[in-house]
Amino acid sequence: MKLYDSFRSALQSLVVNKLRSALTMLGVIIGVAAVIAMVSVGNGASASVQATILNLGSNLVTVQPQFGNDQGLKGAGTQAQNLTLDDMRSIQNQLGASIAATEAEQGTGRWQVTAAGQNWNTQVTGVTEDYPTVRDWKLDSGEFFTTSDLNLNAQVAILGTTTAQNLFGDGDAVGQTIQLRQVFGGDRSGGRARILNFRVVGVLTTKGSTFGFSRDDQILVPLTTAQHVLTGRLNIVNAIVIKATSSDTMDATTSDVNNILLQRHNISDPASADFTVTNQNDTLAALSSVTGTFTLLLGAIGGISLLVGGIGIMNIMLVSVNERTREIGIRKAVGARRGDILTQFLIEAVALTGLGGVLGILLGWAITEVVHRIPQAANLPLLITSGTVIIAVGVSVVIGIVFGLYPAMRAARLHPIEALRYE
Amino acid sequence: MNESVVQLRGIAKTYHIGRDITVNALRGVDLDVRAGEFLAIMGPSGSGKSTLMNVLGCLDVADAGTYVLAGENVGKLSDDQLAAIRNKHVGFVFQTFNLLSRLNAIENVELPLIYGGDRRARRQRALAALEQVGLGDRIHHRPSELSGGQQQRVAIARALLNDPSMILADEPTGNLDSRSSAEILAIFQRLNETGKTVVMVTHEPDVAAHCKRIVRMRDGIVARDELVPHPRRAEDEIAAGIGAAE
Repeated sequence: MKLYDSFRSALQSLVVNKLRSALTMLGVIIGVAAVIAMVSVGNGASASVQATILNLGSNLVTVQPQFGNDQGLKGAGTQAQNLTLDDMRSIQNQLGASIAATEAEQGTGRWQVTAAGQNWNTQVTGVTEDYPTVRDWKLDSGEFFTTSDLNLNAQVAILGTTTAQNLFGDGDAVGQTIQLRQVFGGDRSGGRARILNFRVVGVLTTKGSTFGFSRDDQILVPLTTAQHVLTGRLNIVNAIVIKATSSDTMDATTSDVNNILLQRHNISDPASADFTVTNQNDTLAALSSVTGTFTLLLGAIGGISLLVGGIGIMNIMLVSVNERTREIGIRKAVGARRGDILTQFLIEAVALTGLGGVLGILLGWAITEVVHRIPQAANLPLLITSGTVIIAVGVSVVIGIVFGLYPAMRAARLHPIEALRYE
Repeated sequence: MNESVVQLRGIAKTYHIGRDITVNALRGVDLDVRAGEFLAIMGPSGSGKSTLMNVLGCLDVADAGTYVLAGENVGKLSDDQLAAIRNKHVGFVFQTFNLLSRLNAIENVELPLIYGGDRRARRQRALAALEQVGLGDRIHHRPSELSGGQQQRVAIARALLNDPSMILADEPTGNLDSRSSAEILAIFQRLNETGKTVVMVTHEPDVAAHCKRIVRMRDGIVARDELVPHPRRAEDEIAAGIGAAE
């Protein structure tokens, strides 16, 4: 029997029972659509998280002070040391060209900011001159402050776009003066306010938000200015961030940084280090394993509906074989072999699931399009990869074969005389 | 004498119904059918004629004895080999027509060629077969749009398609009125005159009287085997306006 004839008779019988075929297919359609939609949401979430991490700057190695020990006696022999600007400078000098750039940061908390009669409250952070390089963050206008600004504890500031917008509207912020105010002692009315004038030297480009926090609403000042003028916490930094030359050199950079700091802090046992070095690759790997599990879970939920659809196929094929017992008898009487009957019913099942698979992909795609229009998910890139599509269609065809095989075998095994006698 | 199409020797068949009951449907049947014969197999219910028909049509295999069909020993063939033999050597005509209701006339006729034989010019050959039974103008009708007699003629066209060694008809007029029965018998007689071998199972003496030879079964053996001296001519009866079987 030619495959063409098998296909023709399979499709004919599907067309004859239009409603039944459509309802049976619906199970597979929903299953495949669920897999496609769920996996694409999962992939999208995963890509979104990665993009967010990389938005902080790529190939970053971050050093932070190690806070608190479990046992009070640990490290008793050595004076607890903090990370300092000198640590950063020494990393910068020793690693030189083997890293792309490095910078140190100190947070100073939130400040009340006024300029041109406008009032705003935002985060002020002290950073060093290579911040734009490390964070892959360009300036929209103006210039970033330099080492000489750091040496002079210059009162200059870089504004985020949101901050600039709120203080100066659409006007040019560069060259303007802002005032940072902090209220001391008790409530506002009785307190004494400190007012500091800063000159705006640049405005950052728009970066968006990371995990819900806007990165465009902040003010950057020279680290030394933050230490001497704003906080008084001299020679202390909250983080040193090193940008490796590439993703491949990150591990080497991580261990270099570790060694330099261990030596500078006079610590022989790495386990008792008073700082932690975090490799961005590790963070990405941890997060992608989380999102991968998430995607797998979503896919499994879709897979279960696909399985239910497959059982529906098997059910309806058994009914179909039963109904058409006489037809099978006739076909056998005129010379159909077992394989011919098997092929015919198998193709019917596979046609149901295959067509259901294709329609399911379209439905899944439609669902992701709809999800895309939900405002909360607008930033979520929904990825229907060719891999997802191939797997979905492949799985639905396999389901057709698996769940169609038993009914088809029952049909093929029917004895012609009994089949012909069947009423 | 012509070559032998069917040669049965000592054919026996036993059915088991439930655990204890065994039915000896055939108990040693010897039968020869030669090419060009028009043979009726008669017998009351339970005489074994249906079982004999199944064995002749290779739908079932005998427990004992040998069956040579068109020179091939079909006694020990597998299901698939039997299917191929049916496709090539046997053209079935059933009492209930057994057409596929969702196929039209010509698609029904083409059916045997889907499973074997010469695939070339399938449509033309099916058309020729339908014209042979006088249905050249009804090729796109579905079985439900045809009368019983017309459906049976489609079934005959289907039986003819692979040019089988033998046409095996099981009560072909059982569901038809006398006029249609006469027409069907006329077709069989015409086919027989062109050299086709026809074996017909019937319990109606009036129908059997159109055959050239009658084999009577009783209790699983051939009880009588006789030639019909002057077979009735269905065409004459149609011309005279009389049905073949009242």
